[in-house]
Amino acid sequence: MNRLRLKFSKHGPIKFLGHLDVMRYFQKAIRRAEIDIKYSEGFSPHQVISFAQPLSVGATSDGEYMDMTVNSMTSVSDVMDKLNAVMNEGIKITAIRELGEHDEKAMTAAYAAKYRICFRERLKPDFDWINEFEKYLRQDKLPAMKKTKSGEKEIDMKPMIFEYSLDAENECAELLLSMSSAATLKPALLFGAFFNSLGKELSTNALDVHRIDIYRYVEDGNNKYTEPFITDDINTRFMLNG
Amino acid sequence: MNFNLALPDDILLSIEKPERYIGNEVNSVTKDKDSVDIRFAMCFPDVYEIGMSHLGIQILYGMFNSYKDVWCERVYSPWIDMDAVLRKENIPLFALESQDPVKDFDFLGFTLQYEMCYTNILQILDLSKIALLAKDRTWDDPIVIGGGPCTYNPEPITDFFDIFYIGEGETKYREIFDLYKKAREEGTSRTVFLHECAKLQGIYVPAFYDVKYKEDGTILSMLPIYDDIPKVIYKEMCLDLNETFYPTKPVVPYIKVTQDRVVLEIMRGCIRGCRFCQAGQLYKPLREKDVEHLKELAIEALKNTGYEEISLSSLSSSDYTRLPELIDFLIKSCNEKKVNISLPSLRIDAFSLDVMSKVQDVKKSSLTFAPEAGTQRMRDVINKGLTEEDILRGSHEAFLGGWNKVKLYFMLGLPTETDEDILGIGDIANKVAVEYFETVPKEKRNGRTIDIVASTSFFVPKPFTPFQWAPMNTKEEFLEKADKTRKGIMSQLNQKHIKYNWHEADASMMEGVMARGDRRLNEVILKAYKKGCIFDAWGEYFHFDVWMETFKECGVDPFFYTTRVRKEDEIFPWDIINPGVTKAFLLREWKTALSGQKSSNCRQQCLGCGAASYGVGVCFKERT
Repeated sequence: MNRLRLKFSKHGPIKFLGHLDVMRYFQKAIRRAEIDIKYSEGFSPHQVISFAQPLSVGATSDGEYMDMTVNSMTSVSDVMDKLNAVMNEGIKITAIRELGEHDEKAMTAAYAAKYRICFRERLKPDFDWINEFEKYLRQDKLPAMKKTKSGEKEIDMKPMIFEYSLDAENECAELLLSMSSAATLKPALLFGAFFNSLGKELSTNALDVHRIDIYRYVEDGNNKYTEPFITDDINTRFMLNG
Repeated sequence: MNFNLALPDDILLSIEKPERYIGNEVNSVTKDKDSVDIRFAMCFPDVYEIGMSHLGIQILYGMFNSYKDVWCERVYSPWIDMDAVLRKENIPLFALESQDPVKDFDFLGFTLQYEMCYTNILQILDLSKIALLAKDRTWDDPIVIGGGPCTYNPEPITDFFDIFYIGEGETKYREIFDLYKKAREEGTSRTVFLHECAKLQGIYVPAFYDVKYKEDGTILSMLPIYDDIPKVIYKEMCLDLNETFYPTKPVVPYIKVTQDRVVLEIMRGCIRGCRFCQAGQLYKPLREKDVEHLKELAIEALKNTGYEEISLSSLSSSDYTRLPELIDFLIKSCNEKKVNISLPSLRIDAFSLDVMSKVQDVKKSSLTFAPEAGTQRMRDVINKGLTEEDILRGSHEAFLGGWNKVKLYFMLGLPTETDEDILGIGDIANKVAVEYFETVPKEKRNGRTIDIVASTSFFVPKPFTPFQWAPMNTKEEFLEKADKTRKGIMSQLNQKHIKYNWHEADASMMEGVMARGDRRLNEVILKAYKKGCIFDAWGEYFHFDVWMETFKECGVDPFFYTTRVRKEDEIFPWDIINPGVTKAFLLREWKTALSGQKSSNCRQQCLGCGAASYGVGVCFKERT
């Protein structure tokens, strides 16, 4: 039995698939690829797979993750090739890492997510938003009203923004935002509050969200950092202790 | 994969279920449009989830795309929200694969599965910016072609179609495509092309037939305007289902659709001859597929789709001669693959209960019986073989096996029906409950009890059935009968275990008008559409009052088509078509029905219905 973590991208029309439909898509693809997937016990057995974090409908991604358990396999690259052979172009497995016994599920291990945010062609703001956004982000506190189960509460978004860079030429922002069970900041909330601070309304579906990757939390001696789930590149690390 | 969608992202994100409109599903076919001669847009005029569940389209889609010179794409009715957006933004309706406008296609084919979809045909044409009336179309419009069960009486919608294809689609399209290519190469007119098509068996070009009416409004004559096209159109039929194309790479939708599984068609036709059933007559004679062939198809389709469920499809699966062998095979191979088997339309007996207990969760699933009528007398009239004894014996065995949910289906408004037949519905339901309490002693019920759902639909007489002569009930009669049924159930001892559902009477009446309608309804449908009627099959969008008002404005009496008593020798609008069964046979059956007599099924004795003229199937098998 092997536990595997798959990294996949989501592009093109596939971005309109809701999270449940992505799950259904994978369940069928795993069958088509004849992967020796592990099934749960019981009268209606289901495949042992789970996803890191749902991506909102309309967003693309280069860094989605799914964990799955197989009874047997020849190699991780064989699993990857078999799956990619039966996938649509829009979804592609880009990496697989075998997990250790004590590795947490992707769902619980997620700590942050990196996004690239632009505006959709027909809904671009009529002002220099990059410039305004830079000023906005420099404030000490970034209050916003977050919807909770019991209503709304005021939160400060500032500590949930780990890093950002703005690209005036391409009119887009790259943001590393908190995404864990303790604290999650969604791009729509941040941009909604930013627009409100200017007395403007962010129109629905205006944001063109691309998730670059999902990050996990690592403690290594005195170092605390967050880095993509699957990476060989030390430069992708974001140090959390200064 | 086609990354260029017809709609911008913000529109797709503002509507319900954008996945309905993005195409690119697994096994959908993309070709280079410049490398094909014919582009065919295949439409099921209802919402995506319904249309994607239809086997016929998957068959023709796969078959057309197996032709090198044809690219077949799919179109479904844009849902109400998308309909509004397309109109507002002036975006022409597009096909899913290429996302190109439907108007650019060579053919637009509609499958017509139920009468209540007729205004949706106009919606598709309108949104595609194709002339609504066939007479106004030029080579700038696609050839609009209709197929499916409703084309056995296409008269209410003749104005909107260039061609009706009568019968099974697998046989004649290649010839139509070749005629089309020749016509376009030679630059002949559309009318000449249609004239050539009209010479083919199974092809009905309504514009080439002239209808004259008698003073009483019935038909005097329906005659071709050319000498070289047939006076009667014979249905097309596959003579060997093992040789014909079957899709083992059906398109797999992203969203959950109604039929979300591999569908394995095991046979066509039915031996039973229930007198209310149109499908039973239209698809005669019964033709079975070879069991070894079916095993291969099943394995291949599961492998190509990744579906977690497979379903057998036919009008009466219990009548498939090699059913035990096929099911054994499926249970074995599906178990390994963790695939579920779904078995609709099985007669409840020891065999089917044994099978069902292997493939379903007994606690969750329910038993389904369709006695269709409340008394044996009434069941004899409709020639439904199921007896009360069958139901109670089946229930008894099922209760022993752990089942405790039963669904019972009935019809109200059948010919010769009396109060006794109506009250019989509550009787049967009660007897099933009593059977449960007698079969399962209290200590073995484990807190569970019997749960019965009785449902009634209102009977709509259909063309090419023995009941095509029968007057239909009025809405008031229907509702009164539903009320009697309800009271009958309420008066039963075990009434608190019986839930009763009944259909909408308005929708049944409209269905009745369209089913046996004639060409004068074209105007009504067009006008109702222009007043905003679409998705009539969806209760929440069906505007009965608008339809009634439109009948009035057009001077058409809807009751002419429903409640009127038809004479034995009346020429029906659908007599222009011959589905294999003869009118003489149907009349014989009508009289037998009125005398309260059953008829034998095709395996017991041949009734001489006429379908044997196709030279295949059960007609030529040894009888039992």
